[in-house]
Amino acid sequence: MANAAATVAGMRDVPAAIRIMRWFIRHPPAVTFLLVVILCIVVGTINPGFWQVSNLFDMARSTVVRGLFALGVLVVLASGGLDVSFTAIAALVMYVITMLVTNYAPDLSIWPILGIAAASGAILGICNGLLVHALQAPSLIVTIGTQYAIRGFLLTFIGTALFMNIPESMDAFGKLALLRYEGANGAVATLPAYFLVLVVAASVTWYILNRTLIGRALYAVGGNAGIASRLGYNLRTVHVFVFAYAGLLAGIAGIMHVSSNRLANPFDLAGSELDVIAAVILGGARITGGSGTVLGTLLGVLLITLVNNVLILVGIPSTLQLAIIGLFILAAGAMFSIRPKS
Amino acid sequence: MQSTIIAEQKMPSVEAQGGGTPFLEVRNLEKRFGGVRALKGVSFTIERGRTYHLMGENGCGKSTLIKIISGAQPADGGELAINGKKTEGLTPIGALAAGIETVYQDLSLLPNLSVEENVALTQQLVASNGRLARRLDLKVLRETSIRALKEVGLPTEPAFLSTPVEELPIATRQLIAIARAIASDAGLVIMDEPTTALTRREVDNLIRVVHGLHAKGVSVLFVTHKLDECKAIGGQAIIMRDGLKVAECDVSTQSKSELGFWMTGKKLDETRYRVDAHGDETLLSVEQLGGSGFDNVSFAVAKGEIFGITGLLDSGRNELALSLAGVEPARRGSVLMGGKAADLSSPASAIAAGIGYVPEDRLSEGLFLGKSIRENIVMAVLDRLRGAFGLLDSRRARALAQKTVDDLQVATPDIDNPVTSLSGGNQQRVLIGRWLTIEPSLLILHGPTVGVDVGSKDTIFRIIQRLAGDGMSVIIISDDLPELLQNCDRVMVMRKGRVADVFTAEGLEEDVIYKSMMAEAGQGVQ
Repeated sequence: MANAAATVAGMRDVPAAIRIMRWFIRHPPAVTFLLVVILCIVVGTINPGFWQVSNLFDMARSTVVRGLFALGVLVVLASGGLDVSFTAIAALVMYVITMLVTNYAPDLSIWPILGIAAASGAILGICNGLLVHALQAPSLIVTIGTQYAIRGFLLTFIGTALFMNIPESMDAFGKLALLRYEGANGAVATLPAYFLVLVVAASVTWYILNRTLIGRALYAVGGNAGIASRLGYNLRTVHVFVFAYAGLLAGIAGIMHVSSNRLANPFDLAGSELDVIAAVILGGARITGGSGTVLGTLLGVLLITLVNNVLILVGIPSTLQLAIIGLFILAAGAMFSIRPKS
Repeated sequence: MQSTIIAEQKMPSVEAQGGGTPFLEVRNLEKRFGGVRALKGVSFTIERGRTYHLMGENGCGKSTLIKIISGAQPADGGELAINGKKTEGLTPIGALAAGIETVYQDLSLLPNLSVEENVALTQQLVASNGRLARRLDLKVLRETSIRALKEVGLPTEPAFLSTPVEELPIATRQLIAIARAIASDAGLVIMDEPTTALTRREVDNLIRVVHGLHAKGVSVLFVTHKLDECKAIGGQAIIMRDGLKVAECDVSTQSKSELGFWMTGKKLDETRYRVDAHGDETLLSVEQLGGSGFDNVSFAVAKGEIFGITGLLDSGRNELALSLAGVEPARRGSVLMGGKAADLSSPASAIAAGIGYVPEDRLSEGLFLGKSIRENIVMAVLDRLRGAFGLLDSRRARALAQKTVDDLQVATPDIDNPVTSLSGGNQQRVLIGRWLTIEPSLLILHGPTVGVDVGSKDTIFRIIQRLAGDGMSVIIISDDLPELLQNCDRVMVMRKGRVADVFTAEGLEEDVIYKSMMAEAGQGVQ
């Protein structure tokens, strides 16, 4: 039977080039990794300034919010859904919490703030999940709806003014340094402590996806929801969980955004959904669900961040960067469409 | 912890096999859908370690019965007793926990998950009673899957365990589905039409695995309408018709026509359908054709001839069919239609050359499931039905669709009904009807009666014979040997991509074809 399987896959007598190609097709994150490496080498060669510690720290800093979003999208995408409401959730959570804390509890420390943000994000996510399950509608449509509703609610009833004076604890958390590096010219570069939030979130997400029943269940539902429910997986639990988890991460991402920018702007974050989804897809998750890894997603985020932040170093205008991201996505799409199918 | 407790509970019941309570008792089961009574009080008993065949035509209520036993639907009346205990409000997870594993026609495998996960995840899900907030025990997952895979004779090395199921051939998937049942310590494995996509050799292997299950006290219930396979597998037949159990008997004591009679209420012929002789004029002539999976294939089909092609799954028969249909063009050799070289570089050019191809997998390759019967029929001839301004002439389209439906006796009150409202046999007729609208001189039918019940089979065979009688040439590609023998003039056997033999079908024994298919193909299945 193993022989039969091998014959069907056609593994005999194929040239090494094609075997390597096949290996890459089966391991999409490797392709992303290769692109990241090539991009670093090219940019680093043209402009050695790329390898400066301050630049690397900057990049790490700017992966945090996008990375948190992307982990949420990964979980939803793996279960066969699609979420575009996470930026709206993040904007609402960050703005309301910043406002409430500033006005009523200016001395609140960062941990309860993060806890409240995570919980409120999760509650909004649960609403998404229940709607998706109850309406039996494609989650893309449902979350487009909730995205508009949440954003409209925020701008109409909460406010449109910028918060320039964010609470002390959030400001301090944004400045807290994990690593400090003094360059030869005396300039100081810091890697912010909140980078650890992404590390923790990635580890937790990896654990959930790979070491728990709910993790396997959501891949099962993403593979084929009908079969999964016949096998005894509870679709409602899975739907609610994935959107709640994405909402939770979005809530935390909102606070990270405020802490790092030192202001809360209710118009922020809107429009970056596709950027995030693109990162997850570049990381090897299929848009149709049932696949995707944490490592791939992080690489996808890194790739998008590189393109966004670094191409400027070699004199490529930001408008052209968009075209480059587009080409990467097209290449990834073409690559993954020739993945082995049944 | 939980899994060990379950294992302890299972032990006494296995030892108690032979005597004592039966595994499952179904008493007076009833089910209504709106005004329709799908089940009108069905009772039967499943003893331990035996094979049963739940037989009946499409719509007889056997699918509904299976759904109730597997907890997917509630019953409206009657009761189920598992291990002598009456059960109420059975859920899918409850049925699994009670030891009833259902393998639906699609095998209920998750395509994107690995072999290991497909085999052994259910067991952990059942152990947690369906609750998902649990740690995954990778060690138990691996041990369970290896134990179960060994019993069905599949490999257990890590590379195989981590392969996504979607990359494996269908026969392997079938065994994986059975391995899952073993991994979950099932007492009854229900297999819904398990053999539709398998070749003879794979069916034989399946039978071996089933006998292995019996030795452990596990019962198997096949849901089927393939009479030949019931006879080959043996066991107890539970025959249903129109929501009622009409007979229960040992399959070996009944002839195929007797079983067919119980299922349909009609007398069925086991004799050859093929009676007409065809002319001598050659229509299709294939010379030295080669492509991926087949090579050096030469044969000719006369006008009005019915030509059968068979072989194991890897024999190249499917690839040959696809090349003639222009789906996967051949790379070497030539094809002549009516003496002229035919361009088969795409499906459209094959149609232009007069070749119609009805694929094996109706659902994914043939029918547009969201569309109506009418739209499905006229799909291939839209440009011929062009009216003013290049728009579709809906009056002519409707007339053509209605005529086709009438010709092929498709059972539907309205051609605007969705094609999904039809049974398998009627869907197949719609698909054949579509290809008849292009008026092909050669019709290629790939597995024309896969998933089709006995009564519909009869109608489809008569249609095929009538078409050939009208001068159309027909190629039937199938691994249903009786079907080929009943319908064809000649049968070509392919083996390892080459033509192995060409037989005259009249008076031919199944065994001769079977031997030709298997010759030097290597007996080491496992």
